[in-house]
Amino acid sequence: MSDMSMDSAAPRRSSKSLHEVDARTRRRNAAETRFKACGIGAIAIGLFFLVVLVVAIFRSGLPAFTQTVLDVEFALTQEQYEDAESQLFKTKAYSQAFNGALKTQLDESGVTLPFDEASIERIAGKVGGTIREYFRANEDQLGQPTSFQLAASSRVDGYMTGRVTRDGFQDSRFLTLADLDLVDALEDAGIIRTQFNWNFITGADSGVDNPGGAGIGASVVGSFFMMLVVLFLSLPIGVAASIYLEEFAPRNRFTDLIEVNISNLAAVPSIVFGILGLAVFIQFMHLPQSAPVVGGLVLTLMTLPTIIISTRASLNAVPPSIRDAALGLGASRMQSVFHHVLPLAMPGILTGTIIGLAQALGETAPLLLIGMVGFVARGYPDSFIDGFVEPNSAMPAQIYTWAARADAAFYDKAWGGIIILLMFLLTMNIIAIILRRRFERRW
Amino acid sequence: MNDMRLLERDVDAKDIKIAARKVQVYYADTHAIKDVDVDIEDKTVTAFIGPSGCGKSTFLRCLNRMNDTIDICRVEGDIRIDGEDIYDAKVDPVQLRAKVGMVFQKPNPFPKSIYDNIAYGPRIHGLARSKADLDDIVEKSLRRGAIWDEVKDRLHAPGTGLSGGQQQRLCIARAVATEPEVLLMDEPCSALDPIATSQVEELIDELRQEFSVVIVTHSMQQAARVSQKTAFFHLGNLVEYGETGQIFTTPQDPRTESYITGRIG
Amino acid sequence: MSDQHIHSAYDRDLEAIQAMIMKMGGQVEAAIRDSVTALESRDEELARKVRAGDRSIDELEYLINEEVARIIALRAPTAVDLRLVLSILKICGNLERCGDFAKNIAKRSTIIMASPRVEGASATIRRMARQTELMLKDALDAYIQRDTDLATAVIERDLDVDQLYNTMFRELLTHMMEDPRHITPCMHLHFIAKNIERIGDRVTNIAEQTIYMVTGEMPEEMREKADTTATEQV
Repeated sequence: MSDMSMDSAAPRRSSKSLHEVDARTRRRNAAETRFKACGIGAIAIGLFFLVVLVVAIFRSGLPAFTQTVLDVEFALTQEQYEDAESQLFKTKAYSQAFNGALKTQLDESGVTLPFDEASIERIAGKVGGTIREYFRANEDQLGQPTSFQLAASSRVDGYMTGRVTRDGFQDSRFLTLADLDLVDALEDAGIIRTQFNWNFITGADSGVDNPGGAGIGASVVGSFFMMLVVLFLSLPIGVAASIYLEEFAPRNRFTDLIEVNISNLAAVPSIVFGILGLAVFIQFMHLPQSAPVVGGLVLTLMTLPTIIISTRASLNAVPPSIRDAALGLGASRMQSVFHHVLPLAMPGILTGTIIGLAQALGETAPLLLIGMVGFVARGYPDSFIDGFVEPNSAMPAQIYTWAARADAAFYDKAWGGIIILLMFLLTMNIIAIILRRRFERRW
Repeated sequence: MNDMRLLERDVDAKDIKIAARKVQVYYADTHAIKDVDVDIEDKTVTAFIGPSGCGKSTFLRCLNRMNDTIDICRVEGDIRIDGEDIYDAKVDPVQLRAKVGMVFQKPNPFPKSIYDNIAYGPRIHGLARSKADLDDIVEKSLRRGAIWDEVKDRLHAPGTGLSGGQQQRLCIARAVATEPEVLLMDEPCSALDPIATSQVEELIDELRQEFSVVIVTHSMQQAARVSQKTAFFHLGNLVEYGETGQIFTTPQDPRTESYITGRIG
Repeated sequence: MSDQHIHSAYDRDLEAIQAMIMKMGGQVEAAIRDSVTALESRDEELARKVRAGDRSIDELEYLINEEVARIIALRAPTAVDLRLVLSILKICGNLERCGDFAKNIAKRSTIIMASPRVEGASATIRRMARQTELMLKDALDAYIQRDTDLATAVIERDLDVDQLYNTMFRELLTHMMEDPRHITPCMHLHFIAKNIERIGDRVTNIAEQTIYMVTGEMPEEMREKADTTATEQV
């Protein structure tokens, strides 16, 4: 005990008044303040970048949700129809008829601006084709005034949304300054206007030359079917594997090896899973190319480690006292796991699953390798089963495809796609939080 | 005079419920229990005392094979309950644990209703034929757990909402519900306040009428209060086993003496 | 077994009550010695001192009882500690009783001082007193040294005291038959002898407590009663 006596050589605390702060305390307080300031700074920087990201996404993405249309009322008589159909350049005749109607409408609103067919073509594309398609399909509409909403070209669209400006504008074969004057006049006359682009949300991918017609709907469906596959494969497999590993498997070299490999799998780049899927599912098992089922399988492989790791963590977090209680009452291992441990681990498992799904939803690289590129998403599947096997794309792959295209209008579409993707992720996270709240119980 | 003392202490010779001979327990390479011989009597409270890590909990968990759940744990020797070797290959530990109930250090009610907590054991063992049967069992067990009056109006409230002492009595009632013959308690009062401890101790004394109770405790006073027999474990050895009064007044082994008098030993 | 408790304050408490019992023992020894000396030298002053000193012994007994109660309440002693505390309580009671006997001797000696001397009696009284005083000293030594052999010896030595008392009894009887004037002092002398014999018994109890404290068992009744005056016709 003597070595603990008070008269050691260590410096004694001076007993000063509590009302004076000594130098050491001041230094410690200063250090603490500095550290807090650093933390707040770090959070502020993070928040700043988040705000920048959100603003950038919405600024660039919102134009994708609007489209510019020419609203023209138009009546085609039976004679005109027959006359046009008898000509060599049929669509040209329709265009002329359209131009006539447009001129009438402009005259009515008091705009006297000369325009020619070429400039209409630059503004609204080849309108004749669209009109001819319509009347050939609906011959009973002949002679009746029909209202056409014709999508404006991407450059006019850009002009309306502010992407294209008059400053430094140069005439090109796509658009001239005179065309812009005409667009202004049409806008004043209420013929050209901007409206919400439902087609972007519900439509399928269009060709490279038609950004206005591109929609993300088909690839949303593709993503949906893929997520179904991922959910129904990875959740049962992942949970079963984790329960076995965590509750039943003996601890030995072999299970250690499995554990290490699962952790390693979680860190394997997704492109590796893509090439694996290509080799195994398509080239070896001859599953259809570009099909959501294959995408789902590949993403399942990718998601499994995430689900297994999070499930094991949440199983591990269930207090051992609960297992003891069940075993002590004479419950079998399985009863104790399924009656008590699993319900308690459920919130954690669900959260892990949804995080895994969200990751899978945002995955691009492996999908490109198995052919789920954007341009295959040309339409909706015919039936539920077809949804799994018909070639389709997925949201991130679609976005990637758009971003890679030359036309600047696709750039808007890519950002718009990102907004849709983020909304889906947000929804999934909210579901995760709600499920967590529902299942969470005290113990 | 001797006769009077025996009557009062209620330690006349009883049937041997559990007989352990030359029990050895190994954790991987550690020899945790060395050559323990002990006879635990029926309808008696037997207390295991000893410093931390002396093996008393380990030995307790051998009695219902809870150590089976630990991979690296190996048990040798002979433990018989009513003459049957419980480590026999034919014995299913699940069946054994229905016969040898256990109460743990921390109150661990399932995060379910009070009713479901009690009903769980009878359900998995098929002790109730009807809902009414089950209701009876629940009420009887809660009464035996001395907690019926406190919870009878809220049987469907969560068991985790009770106070610590009530939770522990709930756990005892839950263990009693499966009609065990032996009740093992691993420091059942270490997480409770003195009043709750007294209530649980009183309950243990009542349970002695029906069960053979084995209790591991860190509190020597508790062992002295509730048990009729006391076993002192030290470094994996059973140092001394005898009538509680004798252990606490005239222990035979100097190690027991050092421990119970609070000396550095 | 280590001697030290983990709580060092517990050790200090136990040491304190043992020190108190030793102090009390010393006072009782002195009281016995002084009371007999006063009787022998007819020193009234000394006799008064002994009678006054008994109050201090009683106070010590009270203090020790208090302290023992406190230790039982706060430390909940077990095993050897419990036996120590219990034996202190009993020894304390026995010592107090011895103190009372000494006081009684002193009281009676003042009466005897007013009466004629009884020849020969005081020498036996002195021997008896000397013997019991030594026994008390040895009993306390045995206690403090946890020496059961010495304690057993003390118990055996009570025989001598009893025999001395028997001798004394017969002597006094002879004196009283010889001269009726001696009856009053002889009666008092007899009571004094009886007191000393009782002190011997109390000391035996103390020695027995020592054995109980060390072994946990009370010694069996091994000595036959040597005080035959109650059973024999003289």
